[in-house]
Amino acid sequence: MNGGVSGPLFSFSNVTGGYGATTVVRSAGGEVSPGEACCILGRNGVGKTTLMRLLTGHLPLQSGSVRFDGQSLDGLPPDRRHALGLIYCPQERPVFDNLSVRENLTLMAPAIDEGRYAPFFAAFPILESRMTQSAGTLSGGERKILSFVRGVAEAGRLLLLDEPSEGVQQENVERMAGFLHEAKAAGRALLIVEQNLAFALDIADRVIVMDHGEVVLAGAAADMTEETLAAHMHV
Amino acid sequence: MDPILTINILNVVYEVSTLAVVVLGLAVVFGLLGVMNLAHGEFVMIGAYCAFFIQAQNLPFLAAIPLALLVCGFLGLVVERLLVRPLYARPFDTLLATWGLSMLLREAVEAVYGRGFRSVATPLTGSVDVLGADYPSYRLLLTVVSIALVAGLVWWFVRSATGRRIRAVVNNRELAGSVGIPVTALARNTFVFGCCLAALAGVMLAPLLPVNPTLGLDFILKSFFVLVVGGLGSLVGLISGAGVIGGVESVVSAFLDRTYGYTTVLIIAILFLWLRPNGLFPRT
Repeated sequence: MNGGVSGPLFSFSNVTGGYGATTVVRSAGGEVSPGEACCILGRNGVGKTTLMRLLTGHLPLQSGSVRFDGQSLDGLPPDRRHALGLIYCPQERPVFDNLSVRENLTLMAPAIDEGRYAPFFAAFPILESRMTQSAGTLSGGERKILSFVRGVAEAGRLLLLDEPSEGVQQENVERMAGFLHEAKAAGRALLIVEQNLAFALDIADRVIVMDHGEVVLAGAAADMTEETLAAHMHV
Repeated sequence: MDPILTINILNVVYEVSTLAVVVLGLAVVFGLLGVMNLAHGEFVMIGAYCAFFIQAQNLPFLAAIPLALLVCGFLGLVVERLLVRPLYARPFDTLLATWGLSMLLREAVEAVYGRGFRSVATPLTGSVDVLGADYPSYRLLLTVVSIALVAGLVWWFVRSATGRRIRAVVNNRELAGSVGIPVTALARNTFVFGCCLAALAGVMLAPLLPVNPTLGLDFILKSFFVLVVGGLGSLVGLISGAGVIGGVESVVSAFLDRTYGYTTVLIIAILFLWLRPNGLFPRT
Protein backbone atom coordinates (compact mmCIF):
# COMPACT_ATOMS: atom_id res chain seq x y z
CA MET A 1 0.00 0.00 0.00
CA ASN A 2 2.80 2.34 0.84
CA GLY A 3 5.09 1.72 -2.10
CA GLY A 4 6.45 -1.34 -0.33
CA VAL A 5 7.97 0.83 2.38
CA SER A 6 6.48 0.34 5.80
CA GLY A 7 6.01 3.38 7.97
CA PRO A 8 3.52 6.17 8.39
CA LEU A 9 1.16 6.94 5.52
CA PHE A 10 0.51 10.36 6.94
CA SER A 11 2.69 12.44 9.19
CA PHE A 12 2.84 16.01 10.36
CA SER A 13 5.43 17.80 12.39
CA ASN A 14 5.85 21.22 13.93
CA VAL A 15 2.42 22.22 12.62
CA THR A 16 1.67 25.78 13.70
CA GLY A 17 -1.22 27.90 12.51
CA GLY A 18 -4.56 29.51 13.17
CA TYR A 19 -6.78 32.25 11.90
CA GLY A 20 -5.10 35.28 10.37
CA ALA A 21 -2.41 36.49 12.75
CA THR A 22 -3.81 34.45 15.64
CA THR A 23 -1.95 31.24 16.32
CA VAL A 24 -4.18 28.49 17.70
CA VAL A 25 -2.09 25.36 17.18
CA ARG A 26 1.61 25.28 18.11
CA SER A 27 4.18 22.72 16.99
CA ALA A 28 1.77 19.82 16.73
CA GLY A 29 3.14 16.54 15.46
CA GLY A 30 1.85 13.05 14.86
CA GLU A 31 1.62 10.21 12.39
CA VAL A 32 -0.61 7.37 11.35
CA SER A 33 0.18 4.19 9.43
CA PRO A 34 -2.01 2.03 7.21
CA GLY A 35 -4.41 -0.09 9.23
CA GLU A 36 -4.01 2.17 12.24
CA ALA A 37 -6.27 4.65 14.03
CA CYS A 38 -4.97 7.70 15.80
CA CYS A 39 -7.38 9.63 18.02
CA ILE A 40 -6.91 13.27 18.92
CA LEU A 41 -8.40 13.98 22.33
CA GLY A 42 -8.79 17.08 24.42
CA ARG A 43 -11.21 19.56 25.89
CA ASN A 44 -13.35 21.89 23.80
CA GLY A 45 -11.45 24.81 22.34
CA VAL A 46 -7.94 23.39 22.61
CA GLY A 47 -7.37 23.52 18.85
CA LYS A 48 -8.35 20.02 17.66
CA THR A 49 -10.58 21.25 14.83
CA THR A 50 -8.07 23.94 13.90
CA LEU A 51 -5.41 21.22 13.64
CA MET A 52 -7.70 19.19 11.34
CA ARG A 53 -8.29 22.24 9.14
CA LEU A 54 -4.54 22.87 8.96
CA LEU A 55 -3.94 19.25 7.94
CA THR A 56 -6.67 19.28 5.28
CA GLY A 57 -5.55 22.52 3.64
CA HIS A 58 -8.43 24.72 4.77
CA LEU A 59 -6.07 26.91 6.77
CA PRO A 60 -2.51 27.84 5.76
CA LEU A 61 0.37 26.59 7.90
CA GLN A 62 2.37 29.28 9.65
CA SER A 63 5.12 26.71 9.89
CA GLY A 64 5.66 22.98 9.92
CA SER A 65 5.07 20.26 7.36
CA VAL A 66 2.42 17.73 6.42
CA ARG A 67 3.34 14.63 4.41
CA PHE A 68 1.19 11.99 2.79
CA ASP A 69 2.67 8.87 1.22
CA GLY A 70 6.12 10.42 1.16
CA GLN A 71 4.90 13.58 -0.56
CA SER A 72 4.71 17.05 0.96
CA LEU A 73 1.21 18.50 0.91
CA ASP A 74 2.52 22.03 1.28
CA GLY A 75 0.24 24.51 -0.50
CA LEU A 76 -2.01 21.85 -2.03
CA PRO A 77 -5.68 22.93 -2.06
CA PRO A 78 -8.26 20.61 -0.43
CA ASP A 79 -9.53 19.15 -3.71
CA ARG A 80 -5.99 18.05 -4.69
CA ARG A 81 -5.52 16.43 -1.26
CA HIS A 82 -8.81 14.63 -1.81
CA ALA A 83 -7.56 13.35 -5.15
CA LEU A 84 -4.50 11.87 -3.41
CA GLY A 85 -6.74 9.96 -1.00
CA LEU A 86 -7.34 12.21 2.00
CA ILE A 87 -10.97 12.00 2.96
CA TYR A 88 -12.15 14.64 5.43
CA CYS A 89 -15.45 14.79 7.32
CA PRO A 90 -15.61 18.13 9.14
CA GLN A 91 -17.19 18.70 12.53
CA GLU A 92 -19.32 21.72 11.65
CA ARG A 93 -21.61 21.85 8.61
CA PRO A 94 -20.74 18.27 7.63
CA VAL A 95 -23.12 17.98 4.64
CA PHE A 96 -24.57 20.12 1.85
CA ASP A 97 -27.85 21.26 3.41
CA ASN A 98 -29.37 22.42 0.12
CA LEU A 99 -28.80 19.11 -1.66
CA SER A 100 -30.81 15.95 -1.15
CA VAL A 101 -29.35 12.99 0.73
CA ARG A 102 -28.90 11.23 -2.62
CA GLU A 103 -27.16 14.27 -4.14
CA ASN A 104 -24.86 14.44 -1.12
CA LEU A 105 -23.84 10.83 -1.71
CA THR A 106 -23.54 11.05 -5.51
CA LEU A 107 -22.15 14.55 -5.95
CA MET A 108 -18.85 13.26 -7.31
CA ALA A 109 -20.18 10.01 -8.81
CA PRO A 110 -22.69 9.75 -11.64
CA ALA A 111 -25.14 7.41 -9.95
CA ILE A 112 -25.54 5.74 -6.66
CA ASP A 113 -23.39 2.66 -6.45
CA GLU A 114 -25.55 0.20 -4.56
CA GLY A 115 -22.61 -2.07 -3.85
CA ARG A 116 -20.76 0.79 -2.23
CA TYR A 117 -23.60 2.03 -0.05
CA ALA A 118 -25.57 -1.17 0.61
CA PRO A 119 -23.86 -2.06 3.92
CA PHE A 120 -24.28 1.53 5.12
CA PHE A 121 -27.95 1.64 4.21
CA ALA A 122 -28.39 -1.66 6.06
CA ALA A 123 -26.76 -0.19 9.17
CA PHE A 124 -28.37 3.26 8.92
CA PRO A 125 -31.76 2.71 7.25
CA ILE A 126 -32.74 6.30 8.04
CA LEU A 127 -30.53 7.46 5.15
CA GLU A 128 -32.19 5.29 2.57
CA SER A 129 -35.62 6.40 3.71
CA ARG A 130 -34.63 10.06 3.37
CA MET A 131 -32.89 9.82 -0.01
CA THR A 132 -34.92 12.51 -1.76
CA GLN A 133 -35.17 14.89 1.21
CA SER A 134 -32.80 17.79 1.46
CA ALA A 135 -30.00 17.10 3.93
CA GLY A 136 -30.87 20.31 5.76
CA THR A 137 -34.02 18.62 7.10
CA LEU A 138 -32.00 15.91 8.89
CA SER A 139 -31.23 16.15 12.59
CA GLY A 140 -27.69 17.02 13.68
CA GLY A 141 -26.85 13.39 14.40
CA GLU A 142 -28.32 12.22 11.09
CA ARG A 143 -26.19 14.76 9.25
CA LYS A 144 -23.12 13.39 10.99
CA ILE A 145 -24.13 9.87 9.89
CA LEU A 146 -24.59 11.07 6.30
CA SER A 147 -21.19 12.76 6.38
CA PHE A 148 -19.61 9.63 7.91
CA VAL A 149 -21.12 7.37 5.23
CA ARG A 150 -20.04 9.71 2.43
CA GLY A 151 -16.47 9.68 3.77
CA VAL A 152 -16.06 6.04 4.75
CA ALA A 153 -17.59 4.81 1.46
CA GLU A 154 -14.94 6.70 -0.51
CA ALA A 155 -11.84 4.83 -1.55
CA GLY A 156 -9.24 7.18 -0.03
CA ARG A 157 -6.46 5.68 2.06
CA LEU A 158 -6.68 8.24 4.88
CA LEU A 159 -9.82 9.20 6.75
CA LEU A 160 -9.85 12.37 8.82
CA LEU A 161 -12.98 12.51 10.95
CA ASP A 162 -13.76 15.45 13.21
CA GLU A 163 -16.07 14.31 16.01
CA PRO A 164 -18.03 11.75 13.96
CA SER A 165 -20.09 10.63 16.97
CA GLU A 166 -21.29 14.12 18.01
CA GLY A 167 -25.06 14.05 18.47
CA VAL A 168 -25.31 10.47 17.17
CA GLN A 169 -27.37 7.92 19.12
CA GLN A 170 -25.38 5.31 21.05
CA GLU A 171 -26.48 2.34 18.90
CA ASN A 172 -25.39 4.21 15.76
CA VAL A 173 -22.09 5.19 17.37
CA GLU A 174 -21.48 1.47 17.87
CA ARG A 175 -22.25 0.82 14.20
CA MET A 176 -19.83 3.58 13.25
CA ALA A 177 -17.15 1.89 15.35
CA GLY A 178 -17.85 -1.34 13.45
CA PHE A 179 -17.26 0.35 10.09
CA LEU A 180 -14.07 1.96 11.38
CA HIS A 181 -12.72 -1.42 12.51
CA GLU A 182 -13.45 -2.74 9.01
CA ALA A 183 -11.67 0.25 7.47
CA LYS A 184 -8.62 -0.46 9.61
CA ALA A 185 -8.71 -4.11 8.66
CA ALA A 186 -8.78 -3.04 5.00
CA GLY A 187 -5.53 -1.15 5.57
CA ARG A 188 -6.86 2.37 5.73
CA ALA A 189 -5.40 4.93 8.10
CA LEU A 190 -7.67 6.90 10.43
CA LEU A 191 -7.13 10.22 12.19
CA ILE A 192 -10.09 10.99 14.42
CA VAL A 193 -10.94 13.87 16.73
CA GLU A 194 -13.26 12.64 19.46
CA GLN A 195 -14.93 13.71 22.70
CA ASN A 196 -16.51 10.32 23.33
CA LEU A 197 -13.70 8.57 25.22
CA ALA A 198 -15.21 5.07 25.12
CA PHE A 199 -15.72 5.28 21.35
CA ALA A 200 -12.22 6.69 20.85
CA LEU A 201 -10.53 3.98 22.94
CA ASP A 202 -12.51 1.28 21.13
CA ILE A 203 -10.86 2.16 17.81
CA ALA A 204 -7.63 3.96 18.69
CA ASP A 205 -4.19 2.40 18.35
CA ARG A 206 -2.52 5.71 19.12
CA VAL A 207 -3.68 8.69 21.10
CA ILE A 208 -2.71 12.34 20.89
CA VAL A 209 -3.90 14.60 23.70
CA MET A 210 -4.04 18.34 23.08
CA ASP A 211 -4.28 21.25 25.48
CA HIS A 212 -3.91 24.96 24.80
CA GLY A 213 -3.06 24.31 21.16
CA GLU A 214 -0.22 21.93 21.92
CA VAL A 215 0.26 18.19 22.03
CA VAL A 216 0.69 17.41 25.71
CA LEU A 217 0.62 13.64 25.58
CA ALA A 218 1.07 11.11 22.77
CA GLY A 219 1.56 7.39 22.60
CA ALA A 220 0.09 3.96 22.11
CA ALA A 221 -3.51 3.72 23.31
CA ALA A 222 -2.66 0.54 25.19
CA ASP A 223 -0.20 2.45 27.35
CA MET A 224 -2.75 5.03 28.47
CA THR A 225 -5.08 4.57 31.37
CA GLU A 226 -8.59 5.81 31.02
CA GLU A 227 -8.13 7.91 34.17
CA THR A 228 -5.15 9.78 32.69
CA LEU A 229 -7.07 10.54 29.51
CA ALA A 230 -10.27 11.47 31.31
CA ALA A 231 -8.30 13.93 33.43
CA HIS A 232 -7.24 15.71 30.24
CA MET A 233 -10.74 15.84 28.83
CA HIS A 234 -12.60 17.34 31.78
CA VAL A 235 -12.08 20.64 33.46
CA MET B 1 -57.87 40.47 -27.70
CA ASP B 2 -57.31 44.21 -27.98
CA PRO B 3 -54.13 44.60 -30.10
CA ILE B 4 -52.79 47.40 -27.84
CA LEU B 5 -53.11 45.12 -24.81
CA THR B 6 -51.43 42.26 -26.68
CA ILE B 7 -48.51 44.52 -27.60
CA ASN B 8 -48.18 45.73 -24.04
CA ILE B 9 -48.18 42.18 -22.71
CA LEU B 10 -45.55 41.16 -25.26
CA ASN B 11 -43.48 44.18 -24.27
CA VAL B 12 -43.60 43.17 -20.61
CA VAL B 13 -42.57 39.61 -21.47
CA TYR B 14 -39.77 40.94 -23.65
CA GLU B 15 -38.52 43.26 -20.91
CA VAL B 16 -38.66 40.58 -18.21
CA SER B 17 -37.04 37.79 -20.22
CA THR B 18 -34.14 39.84 -21.57
CA LEU B 19 -33.53 41.30 -18.12
CA ALA B 20 -33.51 37.79 -16.67
CA VAL B 21 -30.68 36.77 -19.05
CA VAL B 22 -28.55 39.70 -17.87
CA VAL B 23 -29.29 39.15 -14.17
CA LEU B 24 -28.74 35.39 -14.35
CA GLY B 25 -25.04 35.86 -15.13
CA LEU B 26 -24.67 38.40 -12.35
CA ALA B 27 -26.52 36.26 -9.81
CA VAL B 28 -24.69 32.99 -10.51
CA VAL B 29 -21.36 34.79 -10.10
CA PHE B 30 -22.56 36.41 -6.88
CA GLY B 31 -23.85 33.10 -5.53
CA LEU B 32 -20.66 31.19 -6.21
CA LEU B 33 -17.93 33.79 -5.69
CA GLY B 34 -19.70 36.22 -3.37
CA VAL B 35 -18.65 38.88 -5.86
CA MET B 36 -21.02 41.55 -7.11
CA ASN B 37 -19.49 42.33 -10.49
CA LEU B 38 -20.35 45.98 -11.09
CA ALA B 39 -18.73 45.74 -14.52
CA HIS B 40 -21.33 43.17 -15.61
CA GLY B 41 -23.21 45.83 -17.60
CA GLU B 42 -20.01 46.74 -19.45
CA PHE B 43 -19.79 43.18 -20.73
CA VAL B 44 -23.28 43.69 -22.17
CA MET B 45 -22.02 46.93 -23.72
CA ILE B 46 -18.96 45.23 -25.24
CA GLY B 47 -21.22 42.50 -26.64
CA ALA B 48 -23.31 45.22 -28.31
CA TYR B 49 -20.19 46.82 -29.80
CA CYS B 50 -19.14 43.42 -31.14
CA ALA B 51 -22.43 43.36 -33.06
CA PHE B 52 -21.72 46.88 -34.35
CA PHE B 53 -18.17 45.91 -35.35
CA ILE B 54 -19.34 42.81 -37.23
CA GLN B 55 -21.96 44.77 -39.16
CA ALA B 56 -19.44 47.46 -40.02
CA GLN B 57 -17.30 44.71 -41.60
CA ASN B 58 -20.33 43.59 -43.64
CA LEU B 59 -20.27 40.20 -41.97
CA PRO B 60 -23.44 38.31 -41.10
CA PHE B 61 -25.00 39.38 -37.77
CA LEU B 62 -24.65 35.92 -36.20
CA ALA B 63 -20.87 36.16 -36.53
CA ALA B 64 -21.05 38.68 -33.67
CA ILE B 65 -21.92 35.89 -31.22
CA PRO B 66 -18.62 33.96 -31.39
CA LEU B 67 -16.69 37.24 -31.47
CA ALA B 68 -18.46 38.59 -28.36
CA LEU B 69 -18.03 35.28 -26.50
CA LEU B 70 -14.35 35.21 -27.39
CA VAL B 71 -13.69 38.82 -26.43
CA CYS B 72 -15.69 38.82 -23.20
CA GLY B 73 -14.65 35.27 -22.26
CA PHE B 74 -10.99 36.24 -22.54
CA LEU B 75 -11.60 39.52 -20.71
CA GLY B 76 -13.49 37.63 -17.97
CA LEU B 77 -10.59 35.20 -17.60
CA VAL B 78 -8.08 38.02 -17.14
CA VAL B 79 -10.34 39.97 -14.77
CA GLU B 80 -11.01 36.91 -12.61
CA ARG B 81 -7.32 36.13 -12.27
CA LEU B 82 -6.04 39.68 -11.70
CA LEU B 83 -8.91 41.43 -9.95
CA VAL B 84 -11.46 39.05 -8.49
CA ARG B 85 -9.36 36.19 -7.13
CA PRO B 86 -6.84 38.31 -5.20
CA LEU B 87 -9.72 40.18 -3.54
CA TYR B 88 -11.65 37.05 -2.68
CA ALA B 89 -13.68 37.34 0.57
CA ARG B 90 -13.28 41.12 0.59
CA PRO B 91 -16.70 42.15 -0.73
CA PHE B 92 -16.28 45.90 -0.38
CA ASP B 93 -12.90 45.90 -2.15
CA THR B 94 -14.38 43.81 -4.94
CA LEU B 95 -17.19 46.32 -5.39
CA LEU B 96 -14.67 49.15 -5.71
CA ALA B 97 -12.43 47.15 -8.03
CA THR B 98 -15.20 46.08 -10.39
CA TRP B 99 -16.64 49.61 -10.35
CA GLY B 100 -13.20 50.86 -11.38
CA LEU B 101 -13.09 48.20 -14.07
CA SER B 102 -16.46 49.33 -15.40
CA MET B 103 -15.14 52.88 -15.75
CA LEU B 104 -12.01 51.62 -17.46
CA LEU B 105 -14.02 49.57 -19.96
CA ARG B 106 -16.36 52.49 -20.70
CA GLU B 107 -13.43 54.82 -21.28
CA ALA B 108 -11.61 52.26 -23.42
CA VAL B 109 -14.63 51.79 -25.69
CA GLU B 110 -15.16 55.55 -25.81
CA ALA B 111 -11.55 56.01 -26.88
CA VAL B 112 -12.12 53.72 -29.84
CA TYR B 113 -15.69 54.51 -30.88
CA GLY B 114 -16.42 57.91 -29.27
CA ARG B 115 -19.43 58.85 -27.22
CA GLY B 116 -21.96 58.98 -30.01
CA PHE B 117 -24.82 56.53 -30.43
CA ARG B 118 -24.24 53.77 -32.95
CA SER B 119 -27.03 51.84 -34.45
CA VAL B 120 -27.03 48.18 -35.31
CA ALA B 121 -29.43 47.14 -38.07
CA THR B 122 -32.03 44.53 -37.13
CA PRO B 123 -31.05 41.23 -38.69
CA LEU B 124 -34.70 40.25 -38.92
CA THR B 125 -36.96 42.95 -40.29
CA GLY B 126 -40.72 43.05 -40.59
CA SER B 127 -43.36 42.10 -38.12
CA VAL B 128 -45.54 39.14 -37.37
CA ASP B 129 -49.19 38.95 -36.51
CA VAL B 130 -49.74 37.90 -32.91
CA LEU B 131 -53.44 37.55 -32.06
CA GLY B 132 -54.30 40.43 -34.37
CA ALA B 133 -51.46 42.68 -33.25
CA ASP B 134 -48.47 43.57 -35.39
CA TYR B 135 -45.31 42.83 -33.41
CA PRO B 136 -41.71 43.30 -34.61
CA SER B 137 -40.31 39.89 -35.60
CA TYR B 138 -36.90 40.47 -34.05
CA ARG B 139 -38.33 41.46 -30.66
CA LEU B 140 -40.49 38.37 -30.67
CA LEU B 141 -37.58 36.15 -31.66
CA LEU B 142 -35.45 37.72 -28.94
CA THR B 143 -38.16 37.10 -26.34
CA VAL B 144 -38.42 33.44 -27.35
CA VAL B 145 -34.63 32.97 -27.37
CA SER B 146 -34.29 34.66 -23.95
CA ILE B 147 -37.00 32.50 -22.38
CA ALA B 148 -35.44 29.38 -23.90
CA LEU B 149 -31.99 30.44 -22.66
CA VAL B 150 -33.14 31.10 -19.09
CA ALA B 151 -35.24 27.92 -19.00
CA GLY B 152 -32.36 25.88 -20.43
CA LEU B 153 -29.89 27.28 -17.93
CA VAL B 154 -32.23 26.73 -14.99
CA TRP B 155 -32.80 23.16 -16.13
CA TRP B 156 -29.06 22.63 -16.49
CA PHE B 157 -28.39 24.18 -13.08
CA VAL B 158 -30.90 21.86 -11.40
CA ARG B 159 -30.18 18.67 -13.33
CA SER B 160 -26.55 18.56 -14.43
CA ALA B 161 -23.62 17.31 -12.34
CA THR B 162 -21.85 20.66 -12.75
CA GLY B 163 -24.99 22.52 -11.66
CA ARG B 164 -25.15 20.34 -8.55
CA ARG B 165 -21.50 21.08 -7.79
CA ILE B 166 -22.07 24.80 -8.20
CA ARG B 167 -24.97 24.58 -5.73
CA ALA B 168 -22.73 22.58 -3.39
CA VAL B 169 -20.03 25.27 -3.47
CA VAL B 170 -22.61 28.01 -2.91
CA ASN B 171 -23.90 26.15 0.14
CA ASN B 172 -20.66 25.01 1.72
CA ARG B 173 -17.43 26.07 0.09
CA GLU B 174 -15.15 24.35 2.57
CA LEU B 175 -16.85 20.97 2.34
CA ALA B 176 -16.96 21.28 -1.46
CA GLY B 177 -13.17 21.42 -1.60
CA SER B 178 -12.91 18.45 0.73
CA VAL B 179 -15.16 16.20 -1.35
CA GLY B 180 -12.95 16.92 -4.34
CA ILE B 181 -14.61 19.80 -6.18
CA PRO B 182 -11.91 22.03 -7.68
CA VAL B 183 -13.44 25.15 -6.19
CA THR B 184 -10.99 27.68 -7.67
CA ALA B 185 -11.38 26.40 -11.21
CA LEU B 186 -15.15 26.18 -10.86
CA ALA B 187 -15.27 29.78 -9.62
CA ARG B 188 -13.13 30.93 -12.54
CA ASN B 189 -15.28 29.11 -15.10
CA THR B 190 -18.44 30.48 -13.54
CA PHE B 191 -17.12 34.03 -13.69
CA VAL B 192 -16.17 33.62 -17.35
CA PHE B 193 -19.55 32.05 -18.03
CA GLY B 194 -21.33 35.04 -16.43
CA CYS B 195 -19.32 37.43 -18.62
CA CYS B 196 -20.16 35.41 -21.72
CA LEU B 197 -23.85 35.44 -20.86
CA ALA B 198 -23.73 39.25 -20.54
CA ALA B 199 -21.90 39.46 -23.88
CA LEU B 200 -24.52 37.29 -25.54
CA ALA B 201 -27.27 39.52 -24.18
CA GLY B 202 -25.38 42.52 -25.55
CA VAL B 203 -25.25 41.07 -29.06
CA MET B 204 -28.92 40.13 -29.02
CA LEU B 205 -30.07 43.49 -27.67
CA ALA B 206 -27.77 45.62 -29.85
CA PRO B 207 -30.28 46.13 -32.69
CA LEU B 208 -32.86 47.44 -30.23
CA LEU B 209 -30.61 49.76 -28.23
CA PRO B 210 -28.79 52.99 -28.92
CA VAL B 211 -25.31 51.46 -28.71
CA ASN B 212 -23.06 53.77 -26.69
CA PRO B 213 -20.37 53.37 -24.03
CA THR B 214 -22.74 54.01 -21.10
CA LEU B 215 -25.43 51.49 -22.00
CA GLY B 216 -24.14 49.08 -19.39
CA LEU B 217 -25.02 51.42 -16.52
CA ASP B 218 -28.72 51.04 -17.11
CA PHE B 219 -28.37 47.24 -17.02
CA ILE B 220 -26.29 47.04 -13.88
CA LEU B 221 -28.73 49.31 -12.03
CA LYS B 222 -31.76 47.33 -13.14
CA SER B 223 -30.01 44.02 -12.39
CA PHE B 224 -29.17 45.29 -8.96
CA PHE B 225 -32.82 46.25 -8.37
CA VAL B 226 -33.90 42.78 -9.52
CA LEU B 227 -31.63 41.17 -6.94
CA VAL B 228 -32.83 43.60 -4.25
CA VAL B 229 -36.45 42.73 -4.94
CA GLY B 230 -36.06 39.02 -5.67
CA GLY B 231 -33.44 38.26 -3.05
CA LEU B 232 -30.18 36.42 -3.61
CA GLY B 233 -31.47 33.05 -2.52
CA SER B 234 -32.74 31.28 -5.57
CA LEU B 235 -33.59 31.26 -9.22
CA VAL B 236 -37.24 31.69 -8.29
CA GLY B 237 -36.28 34.92 -6.55
CA LEU B 238 -34.28 36.04 -9.55
CA ILE B 239 -37.08 35.42 -12.01
CA SER B 240 -39.73 37.00 -9.80
CA GLY B 241 -37.43 39.98 -9.24
CA ALA B 242 -36.98 40.33 -13.00
CA GLY B 243 -40.76 40.04 -13.30
CA VAL B 244 -41.41 42.83 -10.82
CA ILE B 245 -38.73 45.23 -12.07
CA GLY B 246 -39.02 44.53 -15.80
CA GLY B 247 -42.80 44.29 -15.60
CA VAL B 248 -43.41 47.45 -13.58
CA GLU B 249 -41.01 49.47 -15.66
CA SER B 250 -42.49 48.49 -18.98
CA VAL B 251 -46.10 48.88 -17.80
CA VAL B 252 -45.55 52.30 -16.23
CA SER B 253 -43.46 53.39 -19.21
CA ALA B 254 -46.22 52.33 -21.58
CA PHE B 255 -48.97 54.22 -19.77
CA LEU B 256 -47.00 57.29 -18.60
CA ASP B 257 -43.46 57.61 -19.88
CA ARG B 258 -39.99 56.13 -19.32
CA THR B 259 -39.04 58.62 -16.61
CA TYR B 260 -42.01 57.55 -14.52
CA GLY B 261 -41.19 53.92 -15.25
CA TYR B 262 -37.67 54.41 -13.98
CA THR B 263 -38.82 56.40 -10.94
CA THR B 264 -41.31 53.71 -9.97
CA VAL B 265 -38.64 51.02 -10.15
CA LEU B 266 -36.35 53.14 -8.00
CA ILE B 267 -39.09 53.62 -5.39
CA ILE B 268 -39.82 49.89 -5.31
CA ALA B 269 -36.13 49.12 -4.81
CA ILE B 270 -35.87 51.67 -1.99
CA LEU B 271 -38.99 50.29 -0.31
CA PHE B 272 -37.57 46.77 -0.51
CA LEU B 273 -34.22 47.82 0.92
CA TRP B 274 -36.05 49.57 3.71
CA LEU B 275 -38.83 47.12 4.57
CA ARG B 276 -37.66 43.78 3.21
CA PRO B 277 -33.90 43.92 2.76
CA ASN B 278 -33.59 40.22 1.99
CA GLY B 279 -36.02 40.36 -0.92
CA LEU B 280 -38.95 38.13 -1.77
CA PHE B 281 -36.94 34.91 -1.55
CA PRO B 282 -34.16 35.34 1.02
CA ARG B 283 -31.01 33.29 1.03
CA THR B 284 -31.23 30.68 3.76
